[in-house]
Amino acid sequence: MIEITSKCTGCSRCVPVCPFGAIHVADKKAVVGEACTLCGACVQVCALEAIEISRPEASADLSAWKGLWVFVETAPVLKPGKGGHLEITDAKTLKPVTHELLSAGRKLADELGQELCAVLVGDQVEGFVDELASYGADKVYLVQDEALKDYNTDLYAMVVIGLIAKHKPNIVLYPATYVGRDLAPRIAAEIHAGLTADCTGLSIKDGLLLQTRPAFGGNIMADILCPNMRPQMATVRPNVLRKDEPQPLKKAALVRETPKIDKNVARVKTLEKRITAVHGEKKIDQANVIVSGGRGVKTKDKFKVLEELADLLGGAVGASRAAVDMGLKPKTQQVGQSGTTVMPRLYLACGISGAIQHIVGMRASDVIVAINKDPNAPIFSVAKYAIVGDLHDILPRLAAGLKEKKK
Amino acid sequence: MPGLDAISRGLMFDSLKQYAKRRIPYDLLRELDRKNEFPADILKEMYDTDILGIHLLLIPSEYGGLGGNTFDITRVCEALAHIDLGIATSVFATFLGSDPIRVGGTEEQKRHWMGRIAKEALLVAYGATEPDAGSDLVALTTRATHVVKNGKIVGYRITGNKQWISNGGVADVITILAAAPGGPSWFLVEKTAEGFSANHHEDKYGIRLSNTAGLALDDVYVPADHLIGGVEGQGLLQAQAVFGYTRLMVAAFGLGAGWEALETAIRYSQQRIQAGGPLSKKQGYMLKLIVPNAVKLEAARAYIEETAHRLDGDEHGLQTEGAIAKLSATEAGNKTAEDAIQALGGYGYTKDFPVEKIKRDVKITCIYEGTSEIMEMTIQRGRWQEHLKSRGQYYEGQAAEMDRLQAECPSVGAGSAALALRALNQVLEQVRLQRLTRHQHVSMRLGELIAQAETAAAFARAAAQPHYSESVRFDAEAWQAMSRVYAREAALDLCLKGTKLILGAGPLPEGFVQALGLDAALAAQAGSLEDQDLIARKLTEVFKSR
Amino acid sequence: MRTVVCVKQVPDTTEVKVDPQTGTLIRAGVPSILNPYDHFAVEWALKLKARHGGEVTVLTMGPPQAKAVLQLALALGCDRAMLLSDRAFAGSDTWATSYALARAVKKIGKFDLILCGQQAIDGDTAQVGPGVAQSLHIPQITFCDSIEVEGRKAKVQRHIDDGYEIVEAKLPVLCTMSLPHAHPLPWPSFPKVAQARSKVLEVWTAADIGAEPEKIGLKGSPTQVHKVYPPPLRAKGTVFTGSASEMASKLLDILRQENFIKP
Repeated sequence: MIEITSKCTGCSRCVPVCPFGAIHVADKKAVVGEACTLCGACVQVCALEAIEISRPEASADLSAWKGLWVFVETAPVLKPGKGGHLEITDAKTLKPVTHELLSAGRKLADELGQELCAVLVGDQVEGFVDELASYGADKVYLVQDEALKDYNTDLYAMVVIGLIAKHKPNIVLYPATYVGRDLAPRIAAEIHAGLTADCTGLSIKDGLLLQTRPAFGGNIMADILCPNMRPQMATVRPNVLRKDEPQPLKKAALVRETPKIDKNVARVKTLEKRITAVHGEKKIDQANVIVSGGRGVKTKDKFKVLEELADLLGGAVGASRAAVDMGLKPKTQQVGQSGTTVMPRLYLACGISGAIQHIVGMRASDVIVAINKDPNAPIFSVAKYAIVGDLHDILPRLAAGLKEKKK
Repeated sequence: MPGLDAISRGLMFDSLKQYAKRRIPYDLLRELDRKNEFPADILKEMYDTDILGIHLLLIPSEYGGLGGNTFDITRVCEALAHIDLGIATSVFATFLGSDPIRVGGTEEQKRHWMGRIAKEALLVAYGATEPDAGSDLVALTTRATHVVKNGKIVGYRITGNKQWISNGGVADVITILAAAPGGPSWFLVEKTAEGFSANHHEDKYGIRLSNTAGLALDDVYVPADHLIGGVEGQGLLQAQAVFGYTRLMVAAFGLGAGWEALETAIRYSQQRIQAGGPLSKKQGYMLKLIVPNAVKLEAARAYIEETAHRLDGDEHGLQTEGAIAKLSATEAGNKTAEDAIQALGGYGYTKDFPVEKIKRDVKITCIYEGTSEIMEMTIQRGRWQEHLKSRGQYYEGQAAEMDRLQAECPSVGAGSAALALRALNQVLEQVRLQRLTRHQHVSMRLGELIAQAETAAAFARAAAQPHYSESVRFDAEAWQAMSRVYAREAALDLCLKGTKLILGAGPLPEGFVQALGLDAALAAQAGSLEDQDLIARKLTEVFKSR
Repeated sequence: MRTVVCVKQVPDTTEVKVDPQTGTLIRAGVPSILNPYDHFAVEWALKLKARHGGEVTVLTMGPPQAKAVLQLALALGCDRAMLLSDRAFAGSDTWATSYALARAVKKIGKFDLILCGQQAIDGDTAQVGPGVAQSLHIPQITFCDSIEVEGRKAKVQRHIDDGYEIVEAKLPVLCTMSLPHAHPLPWPSFPKVAQARSKVLEVWTAADIGAEPEKIGLKGSPTQVHKVYPPPLRAKGTVFTGSASEMASKLLDILRQENFIKP
C-alpha cells in the first residue's frame, strides 16, 4: 500500500523520479496510479515525509516468491597508463564473482526447482547476456540506460527494488564487493528483507536458503536462515564458491525492463576515479599461484626469494597480517579475513603460523603447501603438504632448482 | 573518598595502555634500560594534560586534580607496573614527594603547591633517606637553621646529604626532611635553589629508567613559608601518616609487575611445544611455575583492594594492613618474576624477552618504602599489641567470621582460612607464654605468618562476593579455586611453620599440636590437585597465546 | 554542523579464541572495546567539528555496559550521547538494528551528517550504515577514507576496486568510514575522561523512540541464526621433515606431481 498523507503540498518533486511514471499531481496533491511497484524512490525525495509505503507481510504468501536471482556486477577494463598506474577504459567486463554466483546459483535453483535469473543493469551491457547464460542463467532481466553506465547507489537501488517488487524473487544473491555491499543493505532496508553478509557457503535446507558465514574474525562459522520474509538475500564473498565450466551453447530468455530513469535520483555524484593498482604488480585475488610469507620471513629483503619463486611459478606474492603489520608487504597483498580471500590453485605458505583469520582467507585453495619450523604450526592443519624446516634454507634451494629446470 | 567510577577508570587505563603500546614499545624500554637512561620526554608526555595527565589522578580535585581515591591510585599503580617499574617509580615519586604537603601543608601551601604540580606538571621528589638514615629516620643529619631578620624567622638554611632519591636528578621540586631547631620538619626546595645539587644517576640493578640520585644541600636558603605546615617538629608524624597507602601503592607495583611476568610466561607456555605438546598442557610445569604464583598474586590483590576500600571508607592509618599488603604482593611479584624466567627457560635468561628485566625491576618493591624485613617487624608489632589487648580474641574473632563465611559460601576456602587464623592464635599465645618475642627472628617470622593468615581471610571474603572487582580477570569458578588453594596452604603453613618456630626456641607443650588443628589442616588438603589443574586451565583461557 | 555518529561496543576479536574441544568461543578475559571503525568515525566527526563548529551526538544500541564506549566518545570530545537499551531490542539483526538507530536519529532531531564505521569487527556485515541511510531516506557513501565539507556539500574519498573515487553529495548524507591500515586512533587524556562524566548521556527505550514492536528485536529481524560452529579444518596432510636440500627437492617433486611445473 502507498499512501499520500495530508502533509503533501503537491510540490511535484516525486513525479519525475518515479521509474514507472505512476505519480501525477492533481489539486495540489500527489496521486499514485496503478503502475506503482512500491519501489520507494518517491519516499526518498519527499522532503515532507508525506509518502508512506506499507508492504503486505511477506509471510502471508511465501510461495508467491519464486526464482533465484543473481545481481550481475560489471567492472571497467583497465589498461596500463602513465607512470605504471592502470587506467579505466570505457570497456566493461563481467566480474569473475558473477560466474561464481551463477554457478552456485544454478545448483541451488535446480534443487528448488526454480529459475535462475541474472539481473543485468548498466549501459550497453546486452552483449553479456550470452555469457550469463553460459554460466547457467535461465533468464536475464536487462535494464539499460545511459545514466546506469557506472554504479550509483540511488539509481541502482531504485531499479533493483522496482524489479524485486514486480517479479517477487525467492532469493537474491549479490557479490560481497564494494558495489554489492553498498547496494544490498540499502535494498534490504527498504523492502524489509533478510540479508546475510559476506557468505562463504550456500545450500538449501528444508526449502530455505542456508547461508554460511564466518564471524568473530573468522573464529566461528554461523548458519543463517530467513524463514518468514522474502526475498532471502545474501552477499557472497568472491573467490570462495567454485565456478563451473561455461556452456557456450546454453541460451537465456531475455526480459527487457524499461523503467524511466531520472538522473536526479542520484544524490551522490562521482567527480573522479583513481586507480592505485600498479601495472605489473600481480594481484593476489585472481592469481593461480600465490607464494605467501608471514612473520617467519622476518625482513623485506628476505621476501625477495618469495618474489623470485612467484615469478618462476607465474604467480603473485601474498602476506599474512603479521607480515603486513611488520611493514614487509603492502596491505594490498594481505591474505585473510581482514585482507583478501584467495582461492589459487597453489598456495605456498612460508613462515606463516596460521592464525584463524589467515586460514579463513586461503583454505579454499586447491593445493596448500606450508613450510614452517614449528611442526605444530596451525597452518599444517590445512596443508596438503607440510614441510617442517627453515624457509631461509629451503626456499633459495627450491628457487635454484626451478631455475635449473627452466634452462 | 568517592574517587572515580569503574568506566572512567577503565577508559583512563585504556588510554595509558594505548599510549604505552604506541610510545614505549619493549625495544625502547630495553634500550633505555641498557643505557641507564631516564626518559624525560616520556614522563613529560605522561604529565601533559592533552596527552595523558596521569599525575592529576594523584591530586585532589579542589587543587585542580582528578581526586583519585586510594583504590584508583592502586589501580593506576598496577597499570603502570605492567608497562615499566622505572617509569612507574618516577610517577610514584611525584606522588610521594607531594604527600607531606597534602598531609601536613597549610591550606595556602596546598593550594599553591598542589595547584602548581597539577598545572605545571612538576616532577617532585621525596627527600627523606640519608646515607645513614633509611627506614630509621630518627638518625637524620640534614639540618635546617633559622634565618632571623628583625627578630622574626624569615627563612631557613638547610645543609646535608640525601641518598637514593627517586627523581632526585630530574625533579623540579623536592620535599626535604631536615632537623630544624623544633624537630624534624619538611621543607620545599626548588631545584634552582642556590647550594642545591644532585649527584649522578645511580647505576642500579633494576628500575634503571627511574632517575635515582643523591642530593647535596649546601646552605640552601628557603623562605619560612616553605616549611610544610608552618610548624617545626611535625616531620616524622607527617611521614608516618601516609605509610598505609604509600605502601599499598608499592604493593600494587609488585602485583602489576608480577602479573606482567606471569602473563608473558602463560602465553609463552601455549606456544612452546616440548615432547609433543605445549608446555601449558604439562601439569608439572604449570603447577610448579605458574599456578602458585597466580594464586599468591590474586590473594595479594584481594588484600590490597580490601585495604584500599577501608582507607577510602575513612579508616585512618592502617599501617599494619599497608605492611601486610606490601609484604604479600611484592614478595609474590618477585617470586613470580623469578619463576617466569625459569618458565621461559633459555629465552627467559636473554634480554629478548622482558622477564629478566621485570625480575631486576620488581626486586626494588621488596626494598623501597620499607624493606620486607621492616614490613615483617611492623606487622608483628602491630598485631602483637592487638593479640595482647584482646586477650587472644583478635584472631579468634576473625576465625569465627570465617566459620560463618564457610557456612554461607563453602567454596572459597573460608574453613581453611579459619584453621590458619586459629593456628596463628595458638602460636601467638604460646609465644606470649614462653616470651619468645625476645628472639627477633621469631618476631619477624611471626610477621610473615600473620600476613599469610590474614591474606587468606581477605581472599576468602573477596572470592565470596557476588560481583568481583573490575580488576579480577577470572570468573568465580577460577577465583574461588585460587582462594581455596591459598587458604589450604596457609592453614598448613601456619601449623607447621608455627610449630617449627616454637620448637626451635623452647619446649612444645603437651596438646599443642592438637590445639593447633594440624589434623584438620592436613584433611583440608584434599582436592588441592584438582583445583590447581582447574586454575591452570583457566589461566590459559584468559591469557591466550597471541 | 550537526553530526550523529553511530557506534558499537564489540569484543576485541583479536583476543577471541575457540575451544578446540567444544567449538565454543572462549570469551573469558576478552575485553570489550569501541569498534575500531566506529572509533575512526568518531575521530572524523570531531575533526569536522573542529573545522566547521557544531555539535556531535554519539549513538549506540546495546546493553547498559555499552555506556563505556559512549563515555569514550564523550571523552574524545563528542557533546552528548544516547544509549538505546531495552530488552525489546534483544536479538535484533542488521535490519532491526538499522531501523532502531534510524528511529533514534529522528528523535535526536536535525542533522547534517551521520557517520558510522564501515562494519563492526564482531559481525563484519557492513550493513547497518546503509540500512540507517535508507530508513532515513538520505544518501549514503560507504567505505570512506576522508570527508571535506564545503557549505552544504560533502566531498568524500571512498574505496572502489583497485583504487578510490572522489564523490560529492548534498548534506544530509551518511558516510561509513573505513579504517586506514595502522592508523593510530585517538585516546583521551585522564582529565578529558573525568570531564566527560558531566556530559549528557541519555538512555532511551524502544518506547522512547516510538519503535513499532514488530520491527525490533527478534520479531523485526528477517534473519535468524540457525547454528554456530567452529570452522572446519581439512584432514591432515602429509608431513615431511629432513635437511634443507631434501626438503627443496621434495617441494620440486610436489610441484611436478601437482602439475605446476613440467615433469
